[in-house]
Order: sequence, then C-alpha cells, then structure tokens
Amino acid sequence: MENKPAALLNAVPPYGHVIASEKWRETTLIHNLKGGGVKILFESELSLTDFHLPNKSCILYVSECDIVAGNNYKRKLVRYRNASSSFQGLVLVERTRLSEQFFSAVQKFVVFDLGLTLLPVSGQTEASQLIAQIVHSGSRENPFRRSSSSQLLDPLVLAVVQQVPGVGRIKALALLQNFSSLQQLSSATISELEPVVGPAAARHIHSFFHKHAAAGT
Amino acid sequence: DASAGESTAPPASVCILVDSRCLSASVDLMTSLRQRHAAAVHVCSLDGSYFIVSNRTAVERHSQSDLAAQQNRKRLVERVRGLQRLFERVCLIVEKDRTKPGEAARPFQRTRYYDNTLAALVRSGVRLLWSDGTEQSAGLLADLARLEQRKGQGISVPLEVKGQHREQALQLYLSLPSVSHVHALNMCHNFSSIAQLMNSSIEAIQKGGCMSPSRAEEVYRFLRYSCDTFLMKTS
Repeated sequence: MENKPAALLNAVPPYGHVIASEKWRETTLIHNLKGGGVKILFESELSLTDFHLPNKSCILYVSECDIVAGNNYKRKLVRYRNASSSFQGLVLVERTRLSEQFFSAVQKFVVFDLGLTLLPVSGQTEASQLIAQIVHSGSRENPFRRSSSSQLLDPLVLAVVQQVPGVGRIKALALLQNFSSLQQLSSATISELEPVVGPAAARHIHSFFHKHAAAGT
Repeated sequence: DASAGESTAPPASVCILVDSRCLSASVDLMTSLRQRHAAAVHVCSLDGSYFIVSNRTAVERHSQSDLAAQQNRKRLVERVRGLQRLFERVCLIVEKDRTKPGEAARPFQRTRYYDNTLAALVRSGVRLLWSDGTEQSAGLLADLARLEQRKGQGISVPLEVKGQHREQALQLYLSLPSVSHVHALNMCHNFSSIAQLMNSSIEAIQKGGCMSPSRAEEVYRFLRYSCDTFLMKTS
C-alpha cells in the first residue's frame, strides 16, 4: 500500500472529468460541478491534493476555516507543492470577510515562497464555477498561449540598420545588398563601406558600430 | 535556500523600470515604491504600460472589472502575448476596483467569462497576484523584485544610459526582435561596442544581455540572418 498514493498522484483524468478526493463527496462544490457538466471520479487515496484536472493540473482547496484556525494548512501546502512537481499546482483560497485579514500573508506564502498559483474564491459555489471553466477550457484553444509565429525577418533587419544615425531606407537597402547580415555589416571596414555609401557615411557608420559604448567606464 | 536567514538583514534596494504611460495612473504607487519600499524606480518608454522587475519578469496591473469585460479580451490577449515574447515570466496584478469616496463598495459580480479568462491565463503560464489597491500593488511589485534579486535575476546595471551615442545604441538594441528594454540596457552596459555584440557567441550574448539561452540564440541567429534585398525592395 505504501507506494499506491504516489502512483495516484500522477493520475490524469480524461477530458470533462475531475478526480476528487473522497472527502468531497456530498459537498456543495461537487454538487455544483455535476450541475456544470463536469463528471466526477472519486478516489479515496488522494491525500495530498483535493482535485486532479485534465491538462496535468491539480487543486488544493484552502478553506476559510483552515486559514482562520491556522489549521496546519501551511504544512499541507508544502507537502502539496512537493508532491505536485510534475503538475501545475493551483491553490484555491477562500477569501471571505473572516479570512480577509490573513489573505495577504497566505498569498505571500503560496505564490512567493512556494511558487504555486493562487486563485481566490468566496466559497464552494464560486470554486465549482471556476473549476468547471478550467476543465472545459482545457479542450479549447488558449488565446493567451505563446504563439511561435514565424515572422519574416528581412524587414526587421532593415529596421535595425535604419537605427544607424544618418542611414535611411535607401542607404540601408544598399548596405544590405553588399553585406547581407547585421554581423557582416558591423564587421565591414571603412574601405569596404565607401563604395556603397560614400566616404563620409562610411566613416560615420564604421564609427557608430565600433565606438566604445559601455557605460560606467 | 537561505531565504529564512536573510530576513534579518535590511532589505536590499531593488530596481524597477516603469513605462511612462503608467505615470498618470500610478503616481501614488511610484511614491510608495520609492519611499516605503526604497526601490530605485526609473521611468522609461516601454512598448506598453507595464513594469519590469527583473531581467526576466514583467508585471502589468489590471482591475478586476478590466479582466471581466468581454470587450477587453482582444487587447488583453495582444498585451499578454506581446509580453510573453519579451519576458520569461509575465505577472498580472489583479486589483480590486476602486470606489469613489462616499460610494459604497459594490460586490464584484463573478461571471463565467471572468473565470474562463482566469483559467486561460493560468494555463498559459501567466502568474496572477491579487491586490486590494495601489498600496498593496506597490508592496507586491517590491516583493517580486526582491524575490527575483535573491534568485540572481535582479536588474544589476544602471537603469539609464547617458550620452547621445549610448542612447542611439540602446535604440538599436531595442529594435532587435525579442529583446526587451532590460535586455537592451544590459547590452548597453556590458558590450564595449555594437560590433562586439554583433560578433559575440551565443554564450556571450546570453551573459551580456542577461537573457535565457534560447533568447540569446534567437538574437545570435537574427544577427547572422542573410537578407534578401530583392524581396524587400518589391514589398
């Protein structure tokens, strides 16, 4: 039995499902989740977390009572953090009139000390709505996700060359025709630049690239 | 991790860059950062109204109703994606809505749309911090900057550049893709000339720019990218 909980820690429910710790059975939260179209799988061996969600995230629920009574919740949080390393660890915190005065300290501990994600809720009803959204949004495309859009680099290089004082679009294009990359351009000698932009601009460009720029010396 | 032992020492001064657009809305916050949290705050022109608290972290403030308004979605998505291109870590401070003096605080109506926004933000790796107002936001910014400093990510170069040539070099570095203001600042102070940066190895760019290896590699490749001027002329 010793290693069974460890195996369960890695259990990921199918889409639209939540694995819930047995102790949540018959609660408002579970009742509302079902009402919100989320399917529940109960698991008695879930000891360190309260819920497992699809997309490898899990939830620890810190109630008003935990916070106000100082109910050992800090230790619970530390154990949760250590156990959920391969998951995105979310912490739902009941932020109520009673727990309000402790909220700032709880946030510091959860976010700054443990590096977990904190989401405040007013109670189980709000928590169930939020969890339902997390479950349902898992199957949709995330608009905030970093997009690896492959931008065309040529205009960007041109823009960098135009940052050289005295170099406009025409000169920048002429320079890039002869020195195709920024690295090559910055390594060009005055005599190599001269035929392209004339002697004065050649000296100017060369000096711009090579002038001692580091501050504080 | 010696963070417990350090708590007795006086907190070291932290450096924060602020976009000039934050000024009018954040006068109290800046005053608090400087006076209560002894932070070195420098106002500069960033590409959006946000704060830079370390070499890798940007922070933006949003009111709760801002996040809850459906018509703001497009702008929020653009902002967050823009920040994620420039920074390894993006934090949003979600602030309770301010009430005018004498006005009763209206309870915030939590909608499905709001929860959906939170879920999407969390899933994309954006860090959320919760604040009651300006004073607390200043505290969170200072705490975050201090935490990053302890992890060796604090901004350690002077927050401004002096002299025309250095200012021009800074502008050139800022025009490099995926280079944030703090990376450009680091480059200005750590490379003796622009040519030196442009001829540097990936490791040297990473070290001098105080950036991640993948970002340094992106800069390295960009500097060696061979342009097709024919394509540019026709466009």
